[in-house]
Amino acid sequence: MDPLVLTQAINVVYGVSTLAAVTLGLAVIFGLLGVLNIAHGEFVMIGAYAAFVAQWAGWPFLAAVPVTLLVCGLLGYVVERILIRPLYRRPFDTLVATWGLSLLLREAAKAIFGRGYHSLTIPVPGTLHFLGTEYPTYRLILIAISLTVVTGLVVWYSRSRTGTWIRAMIGNPELAQAQGISVRKLASATFVTGTCLAGLAGIMVAPLVPIEPYMGLDYVLRAFFVLVVGGLGSVLGLFSGAAVIGGVNSVISAVANATYGYFTMLVLAILVMWLRPRGIVAQR
Amino acid sequence: MLNGSLVVFLTVLLPFVVGRFWAYQLGLYGLYAAAAVGLGLCWGQAGFLPLGQALFFGFAAYLSGFAFIHFLDHPVIAVVMLPLAALAAGLLAYVIGILIFRRRGESGAYFSMITLALALLGFQVATSWNSVTGGFDGLKNIPGIPGLDDISSVYDLSAGVLLLMLALCRWLRHAPVGVLWRALAQNERRLLLFGFDTNRLKAVAFGVSGLMAGVAGAIYAPEQGIVTPELVGFGLSADLVIWTAIGGRGSLLGPVIGTLVVGSLSSQLRDSFVYWEVLMAIFFIVVVLAFPQGIVGLTAPLEPYFAARRRLREPITVSPRAAPERPALLAIDAATVTIGDVTLLDRLSLCFNRAGIYCVIGPNGAGKTSMFNLITGELDATAGKVMLDQVEVSGLEPHCITRRGLARKLQIPSIFPDLAITDNLAIALWSGRASGLALLDPRLRRWKSPMLDELCRRYPFLADAGRRAAALSHGERQILELAMALLTEPRVLLLDEPCAGLSPDETATLIDALRWAVGQLRGAIVIIIEHDMAVVKELAQRIYVLHNGGLLAEGDVAAIQASDKVRAVYVGAEK
Amino acid sequence: MTKRSQGFTRRRFLGSGAALGAGAGIGIGSFPMRLAVAAQPFKIGLFIALSGPASLFGPTQRACAELAAEEINQKGGILGRPIKLYPTDAGGAPAETTKSAVRLMLEDDVDLFIGSHDSATREALVATIKGKVPYIYTPVYEGGECAFNVYVIADTPPQQIHPSVAWMMKDHGAKSFYFIGDDYVWPRKSNEYARQVIAENGGKVVNEEYVPFGAPNKFEEVVTRIKAVKPDAVLITLVGADNVNFNRTFAGFGLDKDIARLSLLLEENTLHGIGADSSRNLYSCMSYFANAPGKANQEFKAAYFKKYGAKAPQLSIIGVDCYDGVSCAKALVEKAGGTNARRCMAASQGLVFESASGPWKMYNQHVDKTMYLALCKGTEFDIIKTFPDIKHGQTCRA
Repeated sequence: MDPLVLTQAINVVYGVSTLAAVTLGLAVIFGLLGVLNIAHGEFVMIGAYAAFVAQWAGWPFLAAVPVTLLVCGLLGYVVERILIRPLYRRPFDTLVATWGLSLLLREAAKAIFGRGYHSLTIPVPGTLHFLGTEYPTYRLILIAISLTVVTGLVVWYSRSRTGTWIRAMIGNPELAQAQGISVRKLASATFVTGTCLAGLAGIMVAPLVPIEPYMGLDYVLRAFFVLVVGGLGSVLGLFSGAAVIGGVNSVISAVANATYGYFTMLVLAILVMWLRPRGIVAQR
Repeated sequence: MLNGSLVVFLTVLLPFVVGRFWAYQLGLYGLYAAAAVGLGLCWGQAGFLPLGQALFFGFAAYLSGFAFIHFLDHPVIAVVMLPLAALAAGLLAYVIGILIFRRRGESGAYFSMITLALALLGFQVATSWNSVTGGFDGLKNIPGIPGLDDISSVYDLSAGVLLLMLALCRWLRHAPVGVLWRALAQNERRLLLFGFDTNRLKAVAFGVSGLMAGVAGAIYAPEQGIVTPELVGFGLSADLVIWTAIGGRGSLLGPVIGTLVVGSLSSQLRDSFVYWEVLMAIFFIVVVLAFPQGIVGLTAPLEPYFAARRRLREPITVSPRAAPERPALLAIDAATVTIGDVTLLDRLSLCFNRAGIYCVIGPNGAGKTSMFNLITGELDATAGKVMLDQVEVSGLEPHCITRRGLARKLQIPSIFPDLAITDNLAIALWSGRASGLALLDPRLRRWKSPMLDELCRRYPFLADAGRRAAALSHGERQILELAMALLTEPRVLLLDEPCAGLSPDETATLIDALRWAVGQLRGAIVIIIEHDMAVVKELAQRIYVLHNGGLLAEGDVAAIQASDKVRAVYVGAEK
Repeated sequence: MTKRSQGFTRRRFLGSGAALGAGAGIGIGSFPMRLAVAAQPFKIGLFIALSGPASLFGPTQRACAELAAEEINQKGGILGRPIKLYPTDAGGAPAETTKSAVRLMLEDDVDLFIGSHDSATREALVATIKGKVPYIYTPVYEGGECAFNVYVIADTPPQQIHPSVAWMMKDHGAKSFYFIGDDYVWPRKSNEYARQVIAENGGKVVNEEYVPFGAPNKFEEVVTRIKAVKPDAVLITLVGADNVNFNRTFAGFGLDKDIARLSLLLEENTLHGIGADSSRNLYSCMSYFANAPGKANQEFKAAYFKKYGAKAPQLSIIGVDCYDGVSCAKALVEKAGGTNARRCMAASQGLVFESASGPWKMYNQHVDKTMYLALCKGTEFDIIKTFPDIKHGQTCRA
């Protein structure tokens, strides 16, 4: 294979898998709970800043993981309690409330870390040579982690008892409650899982992007499109959505240019939402 | 009326009170507010949320910008182009609405996301198409409207546009179409079963909102002299949604108040207070959590003092629908309905060829309600067909079928809970009698019919104008829905357990009323699904027994009671 | 012509009001009047980014402008009037900024505007201010602004590109260039100019590519393409986060070893975002770097850190331009003897004023200045070449 074509092919895989990874947290919160969490990108931002703090303090890169879990977990718990719980039956109002939340988190980041860009040293620098081409090692690791985490979570969700509970809760909250499932606790735990996953994705992308208070904006809209295009509540949907949104953008950017890539992505997203209302993988 | 003149008076006075700059600032936000009014119409009335409303604002702004730049030497032509630019935006919204709603029907997050994607697309087109739109820097040096191009007219022009849009919105909210929008947001299926094309109604609401955004955008271009891609994009779209939500999407003035308060508050704070965004964020959260009605919800306690005392106008009596030349004819011909691997109806054939009351009985799961769903077009026949007056109706949209003189009462009473009882009944009266432009005529809300008079006599609560349907008891809801079905004066009336949950006394009254009404509906076929054999004996001229999606037996009451087959099924079902 | 006369009537109300206000302040009127207004502050509307993506620069812009105002006020202000700054957000949509301009003119009667923001906002402001109040535009831009009573002290493409590209071709041996930029007017105009310079020096442009401005871009595909073409140098006209993303991706793919990069809007904050591991072989050419040589800059920095301490906002060209803007305002208004538009226009021709990096000379509403070529060393700029007295190349007729 032509090394150029191979590299572009890996670029597409990279684009799709990282997009799936940064969307995963929202897939849990929006896909399962139906909460329109506009502050999703800010939880990604928190993870990125955690990675920055770890490096600044001289800790190993992976020390960011517990920091993120702590911050995103606590924050997710409090937010669910105060903001989300009263609004479960008013989905569009959660949109406004989490919009406010995203402003607050961004301002908090500004107050703590300043407005400027921060960057991380890539924890695994260099490129890997194979099949006549080379590709940045860290990006290859990211691809592997993304695919593992997303697939793992999906398998867990479909097999575990908690997964069954969540499905029961979504299907019929009253009945689930009657069955002895604590809907409140379960919803809270689900929300916290979503914010933590967003934070972990933030750690993953942190070494590659400028870390700044506005970085969350790049992720949130794209994540919503992935979910809506792919179809809510299924892992296959998440991947197919990421494939359409991220893949098309990558492929067109590779063969033509980024502007066409972005246009095609939007047009295709609109067409899929229009023509395949239940998502691209749904059976009609 | 008083309210209206008060608003106009205040608007005229305002610039003298607040000074020149504030008048100018309110002028700018007035245009955004006009767009927010349209958003409130979609979101607060018709119940769907467009997330890309800036698309229409910006689209019209670019069009009017082109017009003014192109017809530089003929400003009169440019002024004529203004309404055209606004109309183009409205038309664009309507077409988008029809395309999305027709395809999808429902109007939740998908509709919102599609409109959001369209706005993002619009922004990139405006940014990238340098040769036409001027790219990121936008269209520049757009001349002003002749005679209206100094700073004080910014306010006058915007206030005028805003008042006009408010008047339009107020009228629409009062007109039948407004009632239908609110009904749609509460119970779309019910409205569909009254023969209203709900998708078209939604598209019209979206089109009107696009028109309002378009009018504001068209004025914006010559007023501001510059049109940049921001006007098409996500930022303004999101702002409009926030402003509408904060102000109160359900009320007429809510979106305006939200826009003016939040807009001017943030523009005052942003230069002077470093943490203004924190303040705004907390403000949003508090409003959403504490005042679900938005800021205007704060004035709710004052409302009784300001409520316009509406004069009671003379009702308009509509004559009963002309009796059909021939009695109705309904036939189900070997219809099979399967969903997945479940067979709901299995080669069911039934023929209702004479006017009268038919009862359909059968154990649970026999396919009775599925049969109704098949007739009203909500279930598609996998095989076979449904004929109404010798025309095949299976495959048509539900509202097209019900429009042919079909009415249905659902098993669980299906009404419009947040509408007044009188509005519930009015919708039934409009069904089949009013469509298209007639729905813009507020006089239709005063309609009554001889049948309504008689129903109100029998059930006085139906005439209680002040009550919302949600306040009714279960039994009253049953009556209300039945009354609504009767008021359409159908040729085929489908009743799904009309007496469920009623006391014996209520049942007796209902049977009496039903008998009277059916006597009025000459030539109508009435099909009742009923479990209560007492009711069946009382009403049925002929009985059909369904079992496992097929017809088990038919005949008069005596024949069915004597049937061993029927008894076997019922006994079997009870095991 | 029709265009101009039509535009003129718009906001005439505003125009006349502001002109009167400005005229009364320093008019050649009677002596007692002068005395009465002598202590009145000289009001400067300062348009900087307080919100939005560019708000990164807001604190420096403000700090620098305030330093300049303080220094001038200590020496008696402008025409004896102490400067009062009105920092105003220009980080939002142009309509928001023009609204603020109207407020500053109607309610605060400002005497002069200084703006450090994008061109879309500049054009909107020019259309709103209509030359009634002097307006000094400061940051790096694409050139071409010749509106009446508008003074530009920004770096222009000839100033940034001519010396740096010529140097890269002659001294660095670069022959083939790859252009990558955000899709808006500044990158396109800059690249247009760079093409000429490269052609004149016998080089070639192998590709010119743009990414959508304002979209969340990723650069793996672009970098892969560059890798396939193997140009000698990449000319980058990306801004902000796109600039950081591109350069990090570029280095991540290992291209930084062999291919030089010249970025046209790379200042200290962006370099910080790009980081030490991605800044090898990366050049920038601008009229200001925090560690540019020269006595003027040393003095400026000493004053800056004395006033704001060690935690002062990061110095960069976007920020220091506001210091230069205030300095220019003083020189201009004092030379013109007031803010009368025609006098200011006349005074600007041949005006010399002290910038943070030394004296600059204004003619044709733009300034000639010393340019620096810097090579990134980690997250610091190493000034490797100084080009004195570079012409702005703009042909406005005053």
